[in-house]
Amino acid sequence: MSVPRPEVAELIAVRGGSAASARFRLWLTAWIAVTLLLTGGSLIVGTSSIETSLGWLLSPDAQSSVVLWQIRLPRTVGAWFAGALLGLAGGIAQGVFRNPLAEPYLLGTASGAALGVTLSLLAADTAIGGLAWAGQLGLTGAACVGACAAILLTIMLSRGVLETAGLLLSGIVIAFLMSALTSLLLLTRPEMWRVMQVFLLGSTGFIGWSSALLLGIVFLVCLVPSTLFARGLDALTLGDDTAQSLGLSLPWLRLTLLGVVTLATAAAVGQIGIVGFVGLVAPHLVRQTLKVNHRQLLIGAPLCGGALLQGADLLSRWIIRPAELPVGAVTACIGGVYLVVLLWRRNRDA
Amino acid sequence: MRDRTTNGHAIRSGDAIRSADATRSGDAEPVGAPLTCRDVSISYGAHTVLKGVSLEIHAGRWTAVVGPNGSGKSSLLRALAGLAAPRLGTISLRGRPLPAWPRRERARQLAWLAQTSAATELTAAEVVRLGRFAHGGWLTHRQSDDDAAIQRAMRATGSLAWAERRVTKLSGGERQRVYLARVLAVEAPVLLLDEPTTYLDPPHQEDVARLLREQAHGCGVCVVSAIHDLSLALAADRLIVLGQQRVIGHGSVAEALAGDWLSAAFRTRVDIVEHGGAHLWRPALDPSAYD
Repeated sequence: MSVPRPEVAELIAVRGGSAASARFRLWLTAWIAVTLLLTGGSLIVGTSSIETSLGWLLSPDAQSSVVLWQIRLPRTVGAWFAGALLGLAGGIAQGVFRNPLAEPYLLGTASGAALGVTLSLLAADTAIGGLAWAGQLGLTGAACVGACAAILLTIMLSRGVLETAGLLLSGIVIAFLMSALTSLLLLTRPEMWRVMQVFLLGSTGFIGWSSALLLGIVFLVCLVPSTLFARGLDALTLGDDTAQSLGLSLPWLRLTLLGVVTLATAAAVGQIGIVGFVGLVAPHLVRQTLKVNHRQLLIGAPLCGGALLQGADLLSRWIIRPAELPVGAVTACIGGVYLVVLLWRRNRDA
Repeated sequence: MRDRTTNGHAIRSGDAIRSADATRSGDAEPVGAPLTCRDVSISYGAHTVLKGVSLEIHAGRWTAVVGPNGSGKSSLLRALAGLAAPRLGTISLRGRPLPAWPRRERARQLAWLAQTSAATELTAAEVVRLGRFAHGGWLTHRQSDDDAAIQRAMRATGSLAWAERRVTKLSGGERQRVYLARVLAVEAPVLLLDEPTTYLDPPHQEDVARLLREQAHGCGVCVVSAIHDLSLALAADRLIVLGQQRVIGHGSVAEALAGDWLSAAFRTRVDIVEHGGAHLWRPALDPSAYD
């Protein structure tokens, strides 16, 4: 292979380098492979007493094919989309607030969405799970309203979105308030307490095909504006003034992206409850393994988030089989350990 | 053109930058005053920083803004860039008040460099590419134009060698060149730079000063920079001297020296000596020794 002429080499460097883009493609391929492996794993691990082997997977009988196609596949597909939404929301939140610890929870959105879901279920007097299309949409709508209310309250409390520390603090306060309200509401209905407890801890067990499809559609709707506005997030890393001098409208950029964060979080919480840390860990994993701009981050973080939640879901079904753990508890354990290691390393290096 | 072998990446003047001139939008008038201030007052809350500022800043000239700490150099530059609206008065860009400009169009006319830039995880080339932001929409931009502008800007600032490296991994001097390249990549007829030489060692300060002068003289750009170092500021074409909440004077370096504006601004004797055609500030540590 001939060495490129100097001008051509310069042009390649200016465009970000050929090695860097090759690395990114390789990275994407690796995560897609992991996702496919986890999907396969999720199909053969389950709580039912059906024999779980590769041979069974290839030639299932009538009963197993229902388990396979109506329960396990939608569940793992839905888990991927929910994780992808959380990863995307986390990646955007970290960019908008220029804070590597920002994630959907810290803004109060997740707790607000959970309150919305709880309220709508209490009002409709139905249990979660087994809802039809209209029910799923209604649930997501209620989650969205709750998440919007939470984020508006957070912004009002911090008097604007410009100051990062103040915003995160108010987000935590609002999250506490919303969770307290949810618990109080549930106290009035003891018969709903148990199932809602599972939901609030986070569970992929409620996902059917309608949920999975809904999550998939919301994911695509969120991904488009995110990748379009990724350059705006890149500009924000240079500081507000510089970003503004480049011709960006900061209020619009922030509003749009916070809208995406809200929608993504609400959709995920509406279907799988509160699953923490995925939104925090996924973008971090991307940044630790690649040097990325925001467009690449907002493509990579959903891939990571999806695979992480699939993996956590698989673990939650496998650890104490035939019973299963709430997936939120699994992600909290993995994410918590990850955060501790991250902080320990940072202290050690500092 | 001088080859700086010590760092290997001298900021080149002359050809590389002049070629940029050919592609610059033809509507930038080579002479005239693209930036004007009429009775501008700037204040933060109850604290007045500057008042009654009326200025005409010329194209094709490098204007240095000098004055003591807190005299409003940064505030004036921010106001000129349209980042903070003055409390009173109007700032116009090519005859049109700043707020009346559409955001992107204005961003193509005015390029601004902050005194300190936040650390970013982006690579140098990506940072410079952000300078092209206003030249395209969210969806559309002309990749070849952008590439060419980025290449010119990085070549002019000698930052091409580390195009693919993360800005956080660069030294202070290297980083400043990347940020300068970002400003040049806008290819705007007006450049506003807040202390572009502050964190640089003397040879690099010299490089930046030469680059600014080239932009003004070679490309007809209106260059305005706040500069802390008096000797460096006196190498500019024109001075805006700030002090006591007002403009002490605005004019050529000769006028500034004749009127002793610097002493008035700093409220102490500022001793400027001439040496080989350059004006240098002499610190008067022992004033009696010179008299």
